[in-house]
Amino acid sequence: MSILISPPVPAAIPAETPTPPRGRRYRHLLWYLVGAWLLSGIYIVQTDQQGLVTQFGKVVEPRVFSGIHYALPWPIDTVYKLKVRELRRIVVGGEIPDSVLGRTQTANSEFFSGDQNLLNIRVVVQYSVSNPRDFLFQAQNPDRIVGLAVESELVRRVAHTTVDDILTTQKLAIQNDVLKTAQTIIDGYRTGALLSSINIESVSPPPETAEAFRSVAGARSDAFRIVNEADGYANDLLPRARGEADQLLDQAHSYSDGKINRAQGDSARFAAVAAEYSKTPQVTSTRVYLEAMELILPKLKKLIIDAHSNLDLSVIGRQDNPTPAPPANADGATQR
Amino acid sequence: MTRNKTLLIAAAVGALLAWLSLYTVSETQFALITQFGRPVRTVTQAGLHAKWFFQSALRFDKRLRIYNPAPSEFLTRDKKNLVIENYVAWRIEDPSRFLQSVGDVPSAEMRLHDIIWSGLSAAFGNEDLDALVSTDKTKLQSASILDSITASSDRAALQQYGLRIEDVRIKRLNLPEQNKQNVFARMRAERGRIAMQYRAEGEEQALAIRANADREKEGILSAAYKEAETIRGKGDAEATRIYGEAYSKNPQFYKLTRTLESYKKILDDKTTIILSSDSDLLKILTKGQGAAK
Repeated sequence: MSILISPPVPAAIPAETPTPPRGRRYRHLLWYLVGAWLLSGIYIVQTDQQGLVTQFGKVVEPRVFSGIHYALPWPIDTVYKLKVRELRRIVVGGEIPDSVLGRTQTANSEFFSGDQNLLNIRVVVQYSVSNPRDFLFQAQNPDRIVGLAVESELVRRVAHTTVDDILTTQKLAIQNDVLKTAQTIIDGYRTGALLSSINIESVSPPPETAEAFRSVAGARSDAFRIVNEADGYANDLLPRARGEADQLLDQAHSYSDGKINRAQGDSARFAAVAAEYSKTPQVTSTRVYLEAMELILPKLKKLIIDAHSNLDLSVIGRQDNPTPAPPANADGATQR
Repeated sequence: MTRNKTLLIAAAVGALLAWLSLYTVSETQFALITQFGRPVRTVTQAGLHAKWFFQSALRFDKRLRIYNPAPSEFLTRDKKNLVIENYVAWRIEDPSRFLQSVGDVPSAEMRLHDIIWSGLSAAFGNEDLDALVSTDKTKLQSASILDSITASSDRAALQQYGLRIEDVRIKRLNLPEQNKQNVFARMRAERGRIAMQYRAEGEEQALAIRANADREKEGILSAAYKEAETIRGKGDAEATRIYGEAYSKNPQFYKLTRTLESYKKILDDKTTIILSSDSDLLKILTKGQGAAK
C-alpha cells in the first residue's frame, strides 16, 4: 500500500580519474551526490492514486492528486500512494462457497435468526478509501475493522429477522440497512473507508435441515398447483355453463317461434279453407268427412252389422283391442 | 591540519549530540520521553522533536486495534446457552500509565479480557435470550447492553491501564454444538408445520374456487331456465291467441276438421270398428242409391 521512496543509489564511483587533483575530484563527486539526492524527491502519482506526504512522520500534504510532484528527499519526507478508487473486497461468513468445495460450512458462516433458526450466510463487502490519511494512520488493520463492523451489524440485523424473511423478501432490506449502520460504525472508528456495497451472496439453511426447507418449497408449489387446477376447473366450467344457458334460451326462442309460426300457418290454412266451406258447407263437409274416412278406414278391422239384427258380441271378445271406435261419433261428425 | 582536525571532531560530536537529541514521531505513534527510566512527558504531535541526549524516547502505536478472542459461552437469565464472539476496538491512550501498569500488548489484551468479559457475562446473565435474539425489535437490548459495557469498561481501563475502549461489539451469535441438533430438529418440525399449512391453505383456496364456480354455474343455468320457460310460455300464449282468433271465426268447421284429424291419430290398425249398415257412410251400400237423397 505505501511506497517508501528509497534513498538514491549513488552513481558508480569512477575508480581512477587520473588528471584532476584529489580535492577537486572529491568536490565534483560531492556535487553529483547532492544533485542526485535532491532529484530523488521527484515522484509520480498515477491517475488512480492519491498521494500523502509526511515530513519526519508528520502529515504535511494529506492529499496529492495525480501528476508529477516533488517532496524533500529521504530522510526528510516520505511519500505514500494509495489506490483510492480501487474497490477492496472482504468476505464475511464462509470463506469459500461450499458449492465449490462440496462440503458443509463451518460455524463461521452460521448466523442466528430472530426466530432462533440457524442459517449459513455469506456476504461480500466492497469498500474504497475515502480518506487516505485516516486509512493509513488511524487503525492498525482497517480492512479487518471494516469486515468486523459489517459482520457485527449483520449479526444484529439477522437476530431480529425471521428466517423466512431472510430467505425471501428481506434480503435487499438487510443489505441496505447493514450498509447504512455499518458505515456509521466505521465512521465512528475514523478508518477512512467508504462502503460501496454489501451483497448477500448466498444464504441457505443448514444442511441438516435443507430437506425440510425443500419440502416447504415443494408444498408451496403444490398449493400453487392445486389452486391453479381449481382456477382451471372454474375457467372450464363457467364458459360451458354460459354456453349451455345460451343453448337453453335459443331452444326456448325457437320453440316459441315455431309455436307461433305453426299457429299462424294453421290459422291461415284454416281461414282459407273455412272461407271456401262457408260458401258450400254441405258439400264440403261431406267431402271432408269422406276423405277422412278413406284415410282412416283402410287400416282398421271393420265389422259391418245389420242395423236390425241381434248383435253377437262374442266375436269382439277375441280381438286384441276390444275398444270399438264409436260410430256414434262418426255419426255425430256428420250430423246435419 | 590540527585546526581541521578539531573542526572534524567538533562536527562529529555535534552530529552525535543531534542524533541523540532529535527524534521523529510518526502519525501512528505516541512518544514517551523517559529520563533514566522515569517517564517525564508524552509527545502526541507527529514530527521532528528534540530532547536531552540523556533522555530516551519510547514509541507506542496509538492506532485503533482489534482484540477478537475465541467465542465463549454465556448463560442467559432464562437458562439458555449462547456462544458469543465479541470484539473490542481499543487503543493506547495514556502511554505512561500503559507502560507502568501493563507494558505490552498481549498483557493489555489479558487485562481487557478480564474487564470486559466479566461485564459481559454479568450483563447477558441478567437478560433473557429475547434481549439478544428476537423478532420483536422492542425486546432487543443488545445495543444498549454493549454500550453500557463499553462505557463502564472504558472508564476502568483508562484509569487503571491507560487504554481507551472505543467499542465492544458482538461479532457472532451462535449456539453450543450440543444444542444445535435440538435446534435443527425444531427447525425441521417448524418447516413441516409450515409445509402442511401451505398445502392446507392451497386446498382451502382451491375448494373455495371450485364451490364458487359450481354455484355460479348453477346460477347461470337456473336463470337461463327461468328465462327460457318464460319465452316458451309467451310463445304458447301467443300461439293460443292466434288459434283462438282464427278458429272462433268458424267454430263448426273447426270442430269437423279437428275431429277428423283426431280420428286419423286415434284410430290405427289395432282398432276394430263396428259399423252399422244403417250408418250414413254405408247407407248407400246397403239401401241403394235412393238412400243418398
